[in-house]
Amino acid sequence: MWIDVAIKVGLAMVMMLIVINIAGIHSWVERKQSAVIQDRWGANRAGFTFRAPLLRWLNPVMRPIIYLGLLQPLADLMKLVAKENWSPVGGMKWLHASAPFFYLLFAFVGFSAIPFGDTLHVAGRDISLQVAHLNVGFVFIFAMAGLGVYGIVLSGVSSNNNYAFLGAVRAASQMISYEVTLGATVIGIVMVYGSLDLQEIVRGQGALLWGWLPKWGVFVQPLGCILFFTAALAETKRIPFDLPEGESEIIGYFTEYSGTKFGMFMLADFVETVMVAALTTTLFFGGWQFPYLHASGFVFPWGAQVAVGHYGVVAIQVISFLIKVVLFCWLLMTIRWTLPRFRYDQLMDLGWKRMLPVSLANIAVTGLVILLIEAL
Amino acid sequence: MENVARKPGTVTPAGAPKRGPLSFWERIYVVEAARGVWITTVHFCRNMWRHTLHLVGLAKDKQAAVTVQYPEELRYVPPRSRTRHRIVRREDGSPRCVGCMMCETICPARCIYIVAEEDPDPNIEKRPKRFDIDLGMCVFCGFCVEACPEDAIRMDTQMVDLAAYSRNGMILTLDQLLAGEPAAPREATNALGERVHG
Amino acid sequence: MPKLTIDGREVEVEQGTTLIEAARRLDIHIPHYCYHRGLSIAGNCRMCLVEVEGAPKMMIACHTQAADGMVVHTDNDKCREFRASILEFILVNHPLDCPVCDQAGECKLQDYYMEHGAAGSRLDEDKVKKRAKAKQIGPNIMLDTERCILCSRCVRFTDEITHTHELGITERADHSEITLADGAWLDNRYAGCVVDICPVGALTDRDFRFKCRVWYLTAVDSICTGCGRGCNIAIHVNRDRPHKAGGARVMRYKPRENPEVNQWWMCDEGRYTYKQIDHDRLTEATVEGRTATVEEALDATGAALRKAGDAVGVLVATTATNEELYLARALFAGALGGHAAYLAPPQGEADDLLILADKAPNTRGAQEILGEQAADPVAWVKEKGVKAVVVVGEAELTGLKAEVDHVAVIATHPGKATEQAHVVLPGSVHAEAEGSFTNLAGRVQRIRVAVPPIGGAVETWRLLMELGDRLGHPFDFAFEDDIFAALADQLAPFAGLSHESLGRRGAPLGSGTTQPAEVA
Repeated sequence: MWIDVAIKVGLAMVMMLIVINIAGIHSWVERKQSAVIQDRWGANRAGFTFRAPLLRWLNPVMRPIIYLGLLQPLADLMKLVAKENWSPVGGMKWLHASAPFFYLLFAFVGFSAIPFGDTLHVAGRDISLQVAHLNVGFVFIFAMAGLGVYGIVLSGVSSNNNYAFLGAVRAASQMISYEVTLGATVIGIVMVYGSLDLQEIVRGQGALLWGWLPKWGVFVQPLGCILFFTAALAETKRIPFDLPEGESEIIGYFTEYSGTKFGMFMLADFVETVMVAALTTTLFFGGWQFPYLHASGFVFPWGAQVAVGHYGVVAIQVISFLIKVVLFCWLLMTIRWTLPRFRYDQLMDLGWKRMLPVSLANIAVTGLVILLIEAL
Repeated sequence: MENVARKPGTVTPAGAPKRGPLSFWERIYVVEAARGVWITTVHFCRNMWRHTLHLVGLAKDKQAAVTVQYPEELRYVPPRSRTRHRIVRREDGSPRCVGCMMCETICPARCIYIVAEEDPDPNIEKRPKRFDIDLGMCVFCGFCVEACPEDAIRMDTQMVDLAAYSRNGMILTLDQLLAGEPAAPREATNALGERVHG
Repeated sequence: MPKLTIDGREVEVEQGTTLIEAARRLDIHIPHYCYHRGLSIAGNCRMCLVEVEGAPKMMIACHTQAADGMVVHTDNDKCREFRASILEFILVNHPLDCPVCDQAGECKLQDYYMEHGAAGSRLDEDKVKKRAKAKQIGPNIMLDTERCILCSRCVRFTDEITHTHELGITERADHSEITLADGAWLDNRYAGCVVDICPVGALTDRDFRFKCRVWYLTAVDSICTGCGRGCNIAIHVNRDRPHKAGGARVMRYKPRENPEVNQWWMCDEGRYTYKQIDHDRLTEATVEGRTATVEEALDATGAALRKAGDAVGVLVATTATNEELYLARALFAGALGGHAAYLAPPQGEADDLLILADKAPNTRGAQEILGEQAADPVAWVKEKGVKAVVVVGEAELTGLKAEVDHVAVIATHPGKATEQAHVVLPGSVHAEAEGSFTNLAGRVQRIRVAVPPIGGAVETWRLLMELGDRLGHPFDFAFEDDIFAALADQLAPFAGLSHESLGRRGAPLGSGTTQPAEVA
């Protein structure tokens, strides 16, 4: 009994560690990547030099760290934490303080349903590498993502600022609009793999089509994949869908936030990005699946086999999942530094008039194809 | 997004290529977005490759970043730039300023503070007792130089690196202004202090 | 009555009127230097030359009398050409001193040069250097003979107005200069006026010298508080450049023309009273010698006055405005049933020009409004049985504290009154509040706000209204002119007057009813 709890806590810790680290490194990568893309240097100043004779030898070690701006996230953190804990005059103080917690909480909780590996057999136990093994995992994730709107609306309402409130309303309507598309696109996946359980969906992607192509979501639902990715991008409110924040121009729901509370919003944003990457990986890119890797090792379509031990298989699975997630994070950031922002009417137009009908059509076509295949 | 599509014959900015109606592939945007991502990625890879080469001392002539790393590298300051003020001295070292307050009056930023007093020499009659310029407020418009009837204030010290740890530290007093000297235009230098073309 | 045409417009003037005055009736300004309405006519600057049709040459407008049928042109090409030539002539030896000259900005040479001259110099010779630059000729006056254009206004002033004859013109031609008479020193009591009338920067005020540029100043109409004459003045305040003159807000007084009171002049004694406005002021309230907020001080006085019932009194100095006097009367003598009297004004020397012996600006107002004078405040308090007293202004009050339970003083400067006080309230001087004074001749004249009350000081009339609030007799005046309206309503001599009707030059007591009364 207690060992089960300990295992669950351990899994949760591992997941948290992965997510928070990726999110943390995110801020550094975003800085440096954008700098290199835009012919700049990026952060290369934050740091310190040791004066004490005993520690001077550390300075040459520090130099590349400073040069790469690796201490910049730390400096940012220090600045945010050291800032005054401020809440707007006339605002709802309690709600104002709790809004970022809600937002961050719901951003994190979703990860509990994401599988980052297959079942691990150790000491006679079967441990599913997933924090919460839910039959309706995918519904759970969307529910949590939906609840994230709460944090945003609360922040807008409690700020006693018309602009923050408008930003929150923009954010809420945007998230709700794209959630519909998001849900509709995933229906196709559910139909193909016949389960709402994300672990089952990932396992389903281990099969091969025509004996050589991994049966990943992207291959069976290419349109769904693009729609899902776009809608998820809109859901995270990142460029080109960052109207609710409008970081420097149209000011958004966190106008009245600063210091740690603002930092939590930023962190939650990065966490959401990781979430999108993880979901895309899970639903469309085989999750922890590695092509041709089976429980006993690699079985290639041309018949060759490479035996891999159980722990090796699990390790490859976890690493494969992580690499995929990181790649998608990278893609999301590249998109951020590539595309300009949409206008609000274009945003709504895209969501309701284009993506939703197409995703509904996708469901119909998917159903038809499944029916045809079964009939044949 | 057909409303984004430019109708033929609409006015385009001078020099901009005329764009016709968007094609189907442009309008569904996915392809265009992918192309954009490709361009960004190519840019990233090129610059990253150059940065890496620079690290090992290769391809120094190909820039990876266009930014000037300021305190180490300096940009060229053209000779006619309006730089930090100075007050011109007479031959005996006293300020040429007669405290007429023309500069104080014309100053749009109100950053000049002059208090005048009687000069012992009746042929000079008036001199500044206090002459402060608050560089924290100065907008470097050069009106003070234009307004001065005595050619007593000039902006030719070529000093552009003006910073202080406090607001008071940004205030130049008469002594500091008198200590200023005209200087040659600043050349662009690299991080090693070598002259470069910039 | 001659009827003439100036610049195409007809005007009818009295016999003997000069052209320059006739033009003034039509709001036509004829440039001039030597002409001054308060002085005799010299006619030496030639700046006012105008063309009179039929006359063989240009005529000086300041000395040509208007005649019937005259046709005068003041602004045709010929006049402008003459003016430009005259200016060039005047400027031949004038130094390029404008940067150091205090007159710059209010200098007629500058003004007319910009308007009529604006030509380059054609002088090839060196300018004639006079004997001395920046020479002190009196306790407050500096003379720069190089800047002088020899209009002789200052000479005529000392001859005709003060009859002291300190100044004269010596030497010949372009070596002529203003000189002090042998052994003389320009120290008459009106010497400052020569600075006012000097059209250029030859005569400057040592007190104002280099303190501030005149274009930084804002002029506010007011009344001099030096004596009972009530000379009309303009208070020149420096509102935007607090670094000048050690933070002083009021830079100088200038006399303002009022033919009924001071003509164009004012005495030096009054001229330099402006220093009192910023010097050694009370800026915070005290209760029993301890610093307190104005509210606390008012509460303390209010409580003491309540306790004293109708055994309360107010003693108002004659520096208070009519409005403050009225509030004191309405609150203490009226609403509270106590007593109100005014303090004896300080006395001093008088002369036969402007200076009066009564050294307070509003003695007549106090007489009209309060009626009763408390020559000896302590005796007055004893006689009336007053237990709590409010003193407005400065007075000799030795021994007062022993006679009553509570003394509150509304004062502007620390002095003998504040020494005797339980509570000191910082009030306003005349430059800090709207109001009016009644001079000894019975002329009611307005004062205007030039600067806000200094530091923590509050307008005296506001303090009196606050006291009224605390004593259960609130006044509902929003502005000072409401108080004056109430005053005019209740006191016959002020009837019919209002701040608006007083205008810039004031009106005599009783004048508000003479015309309307007949109509009614």
